[in-house]
Amino acid sequence: MSEFDVIVIGAGPAGSSAAIKLAQGGMNVLLVERGDPPGTKNVSGAVLWGDELSRVVPDWERSAPIERFVTRKEVAFLTERSKIAISYSSQDLMEKKSGKIIVRGKFDQWLARKAKDAGAMLVTGITVDKLVMDDGKVIGVMQDGDVVTSDAVIVAEGANPRVLINSGLRPKLSDHDVALGIKETIKLPENVINERFNVDSKGGYASEFVLGFLEDGLLSGGFLYTNKDTVSLGIVASLDRLRANGMTHSYDIMGKFEEHPFIKNLIKDGIPDEYAAHLVPEGGLASMPELYGNGYLVAGDAAMFTFSNGMVLQGINYAITSGLLAAETILENKTKINKETLSSYVTKLRNSYVLSDLYTFNGIQNVTWSDFTQKTMPKILDSVMMSMFDERGMPKKHLMQVLTAAVKSNGMRYTDLISSGYRMMRKM
Amino acid sequence: MLNIVVMIKQVPDSSEVEIDPVKMTLNRTKARNVVNAADLNALEFALRIKDKVGANITVISMGPPMADAAIIECMARGADRGILITDRAFAGADTYPTGLTLAATIAKIGNVDIIFGGDETTDSSTGHVGPGVAEFLGIDQITYAKEVDYEDGYVIATRDLEDGDETVKVHTPVLITVLLNSNIPRHQSLRKKIDAIRKGVESWGINELGLKPDWVGLRGSPTIVRSMKAIKEPEHLHKTVPIDQIDTIIADLVSKNIIKVGGK
Amino acid sequence: MKIEEKLSLLNYKTDRSYAHITIDPDICAGCPDHFCVFACPANCYTLINGKLNFKYEDCVECGTCDIACSHGSVKWTLPKGDNGVIYKYG
Repeated sequence: MSEFDVIVIGAGPAGSSAAIKLAQGGMNVLLVERGDPPGTKNVSGAVLWGDELSRVVPDWERSAPIERFVTRKEVAFLTERSKIAISYSSQDLMEKKSGKIIVRGKFDQWLARKAKDAGAMLVTGITVDKLVMDDGKVIGVMQDGDVVTSDAVIVAEGANPRVLINSGLRPKLSDHDVALGIKETIKLPENVINERFNVDSKGGYASEFVLGFLEDGLLSGGFLYTNKDTVSLGIVASLDRLRANGMTHSYDIMGKFEEHPFIKNLIKDGIPDEYAAHLVPEGGLASMPELYGNGYLVAGDAAMFTFSNGMVLQGINYAITSGLLAAETILENKTKINKETLSSYVTKLRNSYVLSDLYTFNGIQNVTWSDFTQKTMPKILDSVMMSMFDERGMPKKHLMQVLTAAVKSNGMRYTDLISSGYRMMRKM
Repeated sequence: MLNIVVMIKQVPDSSEVEIDPVKMTLNRTKARNVVNAADLNALEFALRIKDKVGANITVISMGPPMADAAIIECMARGADRGILITDRAFAGADTYPTGLTLAATIAKIGNVDIIFGGDETTDSSTGHVGPGVAEFLGIDQITYAKEVDYEDGYVIATRDLEDGDETVKVHTPVLITVLLNSNIPRHQSLRKKIDAIRKGVESWGINELGLKPDWVGLRGSPTIVRSMKAIKEPEHLHKTVPIDQIDTIIADLVSKNIIKVGGK
Repeated sequence: MKIEEKLSLLNYKTDRSYAHITIDPDICAGCPDHFCVFACPANCYTLINGKLNFKYEDCVECGTCDIACSHGSVKWTLPKGDNGVIYKYG
């Protein structure tokens, strides 16, 4: 007989959600986390979209450490000297509380506590080495030579999936599977944040940036989120472009972003309080490991469940939902855990937004991580805007003529623009 | 089998503690709670004795209920039993009643051969408690230990003193305070941590220890804090001088009585 | 702000008994790209007089160098126990 019904590796959003659900279902659960307390090893923007947690923690928004609710959302292109943005402010966003800005250091600790309260055994400060197999079935986990057994294991270890790699259950990551995220947390007084970002104390600003100004083939996105009295500022950089470039330090991309005149102003007089870096799953379906096997399931970032289409960046909600579905799968098959019964996990994922989004937007990386999106389009938009808004006492031209000139001056043909634009709209 | 007690304290991680600029007190609320680092060095020496000759190690700590996490961590490293001494009556204790309370705990455990503790804690740095416990128990003590070994009823320890090392051999029972960084503490084990959580930490209060309210906590503390001051770090002068001028500069500083050369 | 200053903001619990990442200096000596130097966000890999230097103490455990090194020099594991970087915000 196994010591535990289920061992969950990783007390992040996926692991803790799974552990809560399993414990609520009466299972004997061990939740193992290497950070002490949970959250001290994780890095994320972070905005939590959606309300999936209410399935296991009713009224969770009341007790969760939420910094602010998104009331202003922006998507912006930064060229060297300009910013072209879509800015959306809405009282409805606030009322629906769709986007919750959180600090993972606090949030993960809170969620893991909920798992403990639900009855899971929470063990922190321990790094699991690998899964233990017997006759092709996962029978538990190994740490420093010791084996702890369970009927099933949920691997929710995050974007750097060492347990899966060590267990021979996925290949090492490559440049195309993940991007490199770098983040800084900067202290600013609450009232300064409110004024500077035009939000009230509960409202928050969340913005994604396309860093079109980066030279030498580098591709990177940026983000800025307002917490209560800090600001989260960061980049997500393409590793294969960084490799091809071969002469730029990853941390200098972060440096260039924070030195950009429009960003510099937003964080003026702020006191940097933390620097952080983490891998960000970007590869979509092509990078996914086997999501289940005989005795184990994979959830959250470890399963590469993230979504980014240039307009929104999401991952925590996918982690929570996949964790809950993994728990559900085990609860439904608790008397007979094997590869066949656990395959219903994939069906559940496909019926939810988790896998259906990844299928719908399969290949989106080729659009978001392209020179057209990140470099050419911002330049064209910049030329068009400048021609429209700069008054030189000259006869005005139709938008079409302005656009034609902008396309030409950026070395493109109309047909290229139309086909690239069409591809982009279709994928997004 | 040897009976060993290790005294530990849960403290805020010193690198995360901020000083409140108005109240001049330490703001511990944002800091992570950890086991005082020197106490882990003390535990490691206890575990090495256990590895060598076998021992039953009990970890004790006086603190609030949440300090049980610190004791569990020590059990996850290899200690056998954990006792948290917790009671509202103990609140506000300075080092004197803390020593008394810990000594009463050790007396109640009974037949203890070796008592370990960190040399001092990072949150108050008095170094009083270990020696206090030894005095209350009326046993020998070895302070500033950086190496500890056990052989046939004796503890052999090397003390790190200002003018050199001193190696002493003391018959048990004995109390040893261990210097920070005197060894590398072993890691926690998943197996041991699960067992520790299942076993749990015992909780002893003032009644279990047979102490009187007047002896412990704030009421039993002779220390009165009159005021707190933040000390400004003195300004340092940094100058780069050519290497061939160093002798001249030293001679100049000596002639101005700023530094002294030679002798004790 | 320089990268060294940014890294100094971080809190670590350094394991003096175990380096969780090691490199093979012989492989690094013949490396044509030294991409680790550019990829690592924590400046753990530096070139000094053409020779690769590595320190694990500043590592933030992101795993980038394990991907970056295509020559088999980097041997990557997680720190043991609760050692390594301790994020306050994350």
